Amino acid sequence: MVFRLKSLVRFIHSRISVTTRKVSTTCGEQGKVIPPISARFTVEQALSQWAERFQVAEVPEPQLSSQYIISHVLGHKTLNHLERRGLTQVLSHAHVERIWRLCNKRLTRMPVQYVIEEWDFRDITLKMKPPVFIPRPETEELVSLVLADLEVLAASRDMDTVRFLEVGCGSGAISLSLLHSLKQIRGVALDQSAQAVALTRENAQSLGLLDRLKVSQVDVFKDADWLVETCSPVEVLVSNPPYLFTEDLDSLEPEVRRFEDRAALDGGKQGHCVIDQILALAPRLLTEKGRVYLEVDPRHPDIIQTRLKERVLGLEYVKTHYDFTNSPPCQELPFGDYTHRPGSAPG
Amino acid sequence: MNRTRSIMQLYGKCWFSRIPTRCFLSWVSDAYHVPRVQRLYHRNIYTRHHISRHETHSMFGHMLKLRGFHGSQSVLLSKILSVEEMFSKPSLQEYLNKVEDEYDASLNSVNTMEGQSHGEEELSQKRIRVSVLRPLVQHIGDLRLKQKELEETEELLKDPDLCELAEMEREACQTVIQDLKQTILSLIIPAEESDMSDLVLEVTAGIGGQEAMLFTAEMFDMYQSFAAFQGWGFEVLEYTPSEIGGLRQGSASICGHLTYKKMKFEAGVHRVQRVPKTEKQGRMHTSTTTVAILPQPTEITFTIQSKDLRIETKRASGAGGQHVNTTDSAVRIVHIPTGVVSECQQERSQIKNKETAMKWLRAKLYSMKLEEETSKRYQTRKLQIGSKGRSEKIRTYNFSQDRVTDHRIGKTVHDVRGFILGEDLLEEMSVSLQQFSEQETLLDILGDNDS
Repeated sequence: MVFRLKSLVRFIHSRISVTTRKVSTTCGEQGKVIPPISARFTVEQALSQWAERFQVAEVPEPQLSSQYIISHVLGHKTLNHLERRGLTQVLSHAHVERIWRLCNKRLTRMPVQYVIEEWDFRDITLKMKPPVFIPRPETEELVSLVLADLEVLAASRDMDTVRFLEVGCGSGAISLSLLHSLKQIRGVALDQSAQAVALTRENAQSLGLLDRLKVSQVDVFKDADWLVETCSPVEVLVSNPPYLFTEDLDSLEPEVRRFEDRAALDGGKQGHCVIDQILALAPRLLTEKGRVYLEVDPRHPDIIQTRLKERVLGLEYVKTHYDFTNSPPCQELPFGDYTHRPGSAPG
Repeated sequence: MNRTRSIMQLYGKCWFSRIPTRCFLSWVSDAYHVPRVQRLYHRNIYTRHHISRHETHSMFGHMLKLRGFHGSQSVLLSKILSVEEMFSKPSLQEYLNKVEDEYDASLNSVNTMEGQSHGEEELSQKRIRVSVLRPLVQHIGDLRLKQKELEETEELLKDPDLCELAEMEREACQTVIQDLKQTILSLIIPAEESDMSDLVLEVTAGIGGQEAMLFTAEMFDMYQSFAAFQGWGFEVLEYTPSEIGGLRQGSASICGHLTYKKMKFEAGVHRVQRVPKTEKQGRMHTSTTTVAILPQPTEITFTIQSKDLRIETKRASGAGGQHVNTTDSAVRIVHIPTGVVSECQQERSQIKNKETAMKWLRAKLYSMKLEEETSKRYQTRKLQIGSKGRSEKIRTYNFSQDRVTDHRIGKTVHDVRGFILGEDLLEEMSVSLQQFSEQETLLDILGDNDS
């Protein structure tokens, strides 16, 4: 729990003076930090030293970055998983070298998830590889939403025949956590990026889920007809499509702007370019009572609802869910949820 | 002075003769400092979980009181009665007769009132009563039948031709009677709502500084092994180590068959007496660890309204989703009506942290609710025993004498290192505590105080 962090922070503050006096680090070329050869580091000294260095270099979340990287090198997910006496143990040379190498990457503003090459999403651990989009915590809730609906469905019918389609799978987070939680369903995951498709496949393989997932490199604009022919019908269409406004892209923090695939973020001028395409294809892809689940920008739900009314899409708007923090409206992150009702023509 | 004497009597009863005077004096003085222990415990909890002192106090009090032991009174009850001895008590026979009469009366009124339009509520209450009492009454009836059968068989024993057959018959009869009696006793003891639930274990270092923290770490390990020994699931929710490898505070969620029933008597202050590793002059220290056992309610028995919760995450500068990349997965949940706060940053996945924080919050709120109910039930008893017992030490682990003593039942087990392995010795203690508690409840129900 969080208290541990607090006590650690206190500890770091009290240690800073000690470590800086004892260890004289040399700043090499390109601002790289080379570990002093003679120095022996305990875990907490390394933690505090890197936290401070990140702070000075204005790297966001300096303490957490230092903790995650060092825990990872020691074979743990977080500091909480370290054994007793873990903090006071002296690091081996191999560990020190690896910590310094990884932390130097973080100094270039590379996201922690890319630095340690993995991250957790719900119950599963996924491999992360630049520039494939890093799944965000809000998307974990989108999956909860889909799972809750599928569990209701499971009560009334055989799950073996239930299939889902994910558009823009990235590292495979949504598809793989669905497959991980529901042991009978099958799915198809698509992405226009070859790197994303390869990473999803790799993650599926290591989680032992590849037998129930088909992964294909497909562009929803160019390959629309092929998509409808091969994938329909599905009960669930789920997506975390690119939804950022093109004009906002340049103002994003370096972690996102410089390292993540632009195509996974850029949703066009008003951010709903891909969303529109998915909704347009949805009636042809879904079964009669199939549903679409989308994570969208807070400005999108109104636009989408008007659009559904204007055009006869054969979709009925169900509900907009907001993420669990329920923070002020402008910060909410809605998930659109649309049911397919063929024949019903919204006025 | 009165208090000192009672403590001497209390402890002296079981193993006074084997204890050097110096050591004995040290705990008498220790016992005098109960309020200090209490203060320390409360401060720890208060800073950690943002619960008011009052709430913590009552919560902790409840843990000891929930079908627990009624203060030091139980020490006097030095023996577990056998089933036979229980049945030889006139109060039990009286109770059974009373139950039968009530059942007959209720059944009668249900039958006569049937079809009449008035007294609907009364009728349904009687019906419930009938269904509650039915199993017990049926067993009592079976017992009477069997006893009659036994008498008849004993008559037959006099007949030399049938003697052998009758002997076998008699033995069979006795076994059945024994079983029936056991069942009747367990039917009289009401099941506690929380007995079947899973639980959250919390251990907190008390007085004794680093040594207390080292011992707390050992206690945490003991319960972890005990869970493994019982085949229960053990999931660490929080582990806050001290600098030298001790444990300031740890909590874990334990699930499995009858976890709460077996673990509830572990709640309270545990005391260790030994020469700590940190001690340079070979002096013996006394330190304490506080254990709290919070029943973990199921979704059905206890629900929290989502509108009562405020869930906060540390999202950078407002925007979320694809706009930012944050690794801060900490979740903080505030239960608005009570102000109880639960925070978690154990995992990298935010939703996992949310689940853990909810688990803790549910356990805490549930135990507060139970405390409220229990305190109503024990209002009169509370007046009698006052606040005593709340921070009373329940068990002592004495390393130099190689023994563990539970002060509530005056039971001593030798081999303290074996005990903290959390296997059969702890199980033995746990079984004794359960038996005592059940017996106490039973005598309580029978209104029998002359034990």
